[in-house]
Amino acid sequence: MAEHENGTSTGRGGHSRRRFLRGSGLAAASAVLTSQANVALDEAKAEAQAPDGPEALSGDVTLTLQVDGRELSCVVEPRSTLLDTLRNRLDVTGPKRVCDRASCGACTVIVDGDAVYSCTTLAVSCKGKAIETVEGFETGEGGVPHAFHQHDALMCGYCTPGFVTACKAFLDANPGKEPTLEDVKRGLDGNICRCGTYIGVFEAALAAAKTMKGA
Amino acid sequence: MASWPESTRLIGKSIPRLDGLAKASGRAKYPSDIRPEGMLFGVLLTSPHANAKVKALDLEPARAMPGVKGVIALATAGETNVIYQGQEIAAVAAETEEKARDAARAIKVEYEVLPHVVTERQSTAEGAPKAFAAGNSRPGRAQTAGKPDEAMKGADATIEATYELPVITHVCLEPHGLTAEWKGPDSITVYASTQSVMGVANDMVETFGVDASKVKVLTEVMGGGFGSKFNADVWGIAAAKLAKEAGRPVRMFLDRAQEHLIGGNRPSAKATIQLGATKDGKLVAMTAETSGTGGRGGSNFPLPYVYHVPDRTRSHTEVFVNCGGSRAMRAPGHPQGCAVMEAAMDDLAHKLGINPLEFRLKNLAETDMVAGGINRTEIYHEQVRRGAELIGWGRWKPRGQGGDGPVKRGLGMALHQWGGGGAQDKQVACIVNPDGSVELRSATQDIGTGARTILAIIAAEVFGLEVGRIRSNIGDSTFPPGQSSGGSTTSPSMAPPCFDAAVKARDELFRRIAPGLEAAVEDLALKDGQVLVKGEARLTWEQACRKLGMMPINVVGVFAQGLSSTGVGGCQFAEVTVDVETGVVRLKKIVAVQDTGLILDMLTWRSQVYGGVIGGLNYGLFEERIMDEPTGVMLNPDMEMYKLAGATDIPEIVVEAHDTPEMRARGVIGVGEPPTISTAAAIGNAVANAIGVRVPKWPMSPMNVLDALAAAEGKA
Repeated sequence: MAEHENGTSTGRGGHSRRRFLRGSGLAAASAVLTSQANVALDEAKAEAQAPDGPEALSGDVTLTLQVDGRELSCVVEPRSTLLDTLRNRLDVTGPKRVCDRASCGACTVIVDGDAVYSCTTLAVSCKGKAIETVEGFETGEGGVPHAFHQHDALMCGYCTPGFVTACKAFLDANPGKEPTLEDVKRGLDGNICRCGTYIGVFEAALAAAKTMKGA
Repeated sequence: MASWPESTRLIGKSIPRLDGLAKASGRAKYPSDIRPEGMLFGVLLTSPHANAKVKALDLEPARAMPGVKGVIALATAGETNVIYQGQEIAAVAAETEEKARDAARAIKVEYEVLPHVVTERQSTAEGAPKAFAAGNSRPGRAQTAGKPDEAMKGADATIEATYELPVITHVCLEPHGLTAEWKGPDSITVYASTQSVMGVANDMVETFGVDASKVKVLTEVMGGGFGSKFNADVWGIAAAKLAKEAGRPVRMFLDRAQEHLIGGNRPSAKATIQLGATKDGKLVAMTAETSGTGGRGGSNFPLPYVYHVPDRTRSHTEVFVNCGGSRAMRAPGHPQGCAVMEAAMDDLAHKLGINPLEFRLKNLAETDMVAGGINRTEIYHEQVRRGAELIGWGRWKPRGQGGDGPVKRGLGMALHQWGGGGAQDKQVACIVNPDGSVELRSATQDIGTGARTILAIIAAEVFGLEVGRIRSNIGDSTFPPGQSSGGSTTSPSMAPPCFDAAVKARDELFRRIAPGLEAAVEDLALKDGQVLVKGEARLTWEQACRKLGMMPINVVGVFAQGLSSTGVGGCQFAEVTVDVETGVVRLKKIVAVQDTGLILDMLTWRSQVYGGVIGGLNYGLFEERIMDEPTGVMLNPDMEMYKLAGATDIPEIVVEAHDTPEMRARGVIGVGEPPTISTAAAIGNAVANAIGVRVPKWPMSPMNVLDALAAAEGKA
């Protein structure tokens, strides 16, 4: 356990990889990179201004997270991932654990507006941040889940919450625009489906974009 | 003989699946999501070695760890021989998953590491260590028809080539596993990610000696199986044992690496094949020596495949390796047989200078009768004609004319077939309640195919109700016996008893309400939520059901002849570009033409075909289990280096249902397996067409493409 004892509550440990992967895609690269750069800058400023420097955590830590607008508390370890905290402690099981290594996107949640892989984000790093999961999304007409349902963009459905979340984050990041099929493919390239539902996913994403633009 | 209604309101239309919104909104609870009160987290300790004796096993350090509530051995010191990486050694249950992992790591295992063989090459090499007592391989007897050697002499053209396909793994996104909860000393409820609630229930009965009536296995939804999830497995039994020991429920699911190592795989295939034909393009003979590995299991595949070869001989050798065992995977054997046969067909057509499409059609058996008096050869002809139109086969050029620049373009095709068909002993209960609610019950499950939805469609069709009014309650082992989800058998097994149950329930409703309506039973009908008497609406569905008083209708439907069938065909076409400088293959378009009898839900049917094609393109382009010969471990047990298609890898895919009155009259046939069979074969042929060189090894990865190009230039 020694390697975990000095875990620190930094603001950016967990989801930098996702940002890198997203940023490395060709799609909407400038918009994504600009927003990433701003976030990184804000974080750097906040860290510099923190009066006591980084906080050292070890053992059992009581943590309160803002999940889908609710304050949820539980006991975690500094090494506990956001995903395992949501699933194993808070019963927020929409995000799924599939690869557990930031490869497949099934665990995607939105933290302070950014889509992140929650399997490689430490829970303690999310204190005070707004965490949105698929469970909090609007399910009525006009919502992304509805579009996925209507276009049969799912089969076993285990990757689906991640795709729905990535899709919502992608559309939210490009408000008022109607993406092309290529845009959608690039925007969702951080997720993997095994049943092979991609065609339905593309149709659903395009339909949801259309509805959101019209809204 | 029973028959489906001639004109249908719902059957065959595109209807969104009943559980689609629950899944898309993250609200559906998968077996790996369920957390009963007091649940402990189970972790499995597995062998890091491919071949070893377990000399000593000390669980005490794990028991002493904080939060640990149970530890059990799954291997015995001095007895257990581990024969693959990932073999189960011990299991732990603890208050948190993190603590359970720590405890599993704390278990002390002493191994005597033995020499291993983890690839076919390593297993069959001269001087290879004898990893298996009965030998590293088992040659099979030759299967011979006619006089192939003699016939081959009469061939005007022959090809001889060796083709290879790798081992791939299922990569179910929800790993194998279950959550076990004892409800008393002799009563257990299991939430299992399974393709067979009845199979898992049976495993629990046999392992624990509890009454079958006290075992309940629940699978409301599950995250993919593809043929690998029919049983409780060692880890599932371990969860139940730990739950018993700790007196608390235990969740035990494999981690991603374990899923690759022990969750099953599709065997590899290698074929050295000689195929001969006359100059006008008629096959005369085939000789083939094939092999493959399924770990210590079987690896056979059908060959010849689809085409009629009058004189032939083929022998298959099982090669054993120190790797996790194979399990059924989507159309077991067929993708391998198809790829090998279709590659040989294409190479021979090239040698003969015949258009490969014509060559294929010429070599179908004159009659290939499948159930219902259907000559599949005629179906193939229609399907190939349609597929050729959709891909634009008119643009096909002989090999090596893929363009002048480094990026070459090519077209390829392949044919496939599947039996399928259903069991005749399954049941569906139909309950019509006085409040108008309708429930179907059966111990089958929906593994993502849409099984839940098609049952509701059938009942809604019979009752004249909307699909959403039917509660399709499956995934419960205590319900009437249902089909395991494998071999494309679920729909043809479950649709007939479902239809029978709904018809029986409707007829009983009519019998019970006819006197009150002063009408004859035969004058009653159901339409648009109304009860009609001689065509006139007299009661709403709810009013009619209220007349049942306190007594619901509860009937059980059984199999009936005439509602389902077996034996399908299909063809696929691929258009690719290949960069001969980098070896990168890009898919431009895939066309899939498929027949499967009566289609119940066009929307979920199309999803299945898309899914089959995408599974096949993964096999064709990306997937490969890579074993490290010196260390005996798998190098890519993850989802980063084990490659699967992402969104930008998906080409235009055109799905064409061969949906004719003749096909509909056959009744229901499943569609899970057929459309995944020929994709990799068609892609391989398109690559050969583009670059003018056969790439003999799948996947069509840059390495394999460049190797083939180098070999052709004499540089290999």
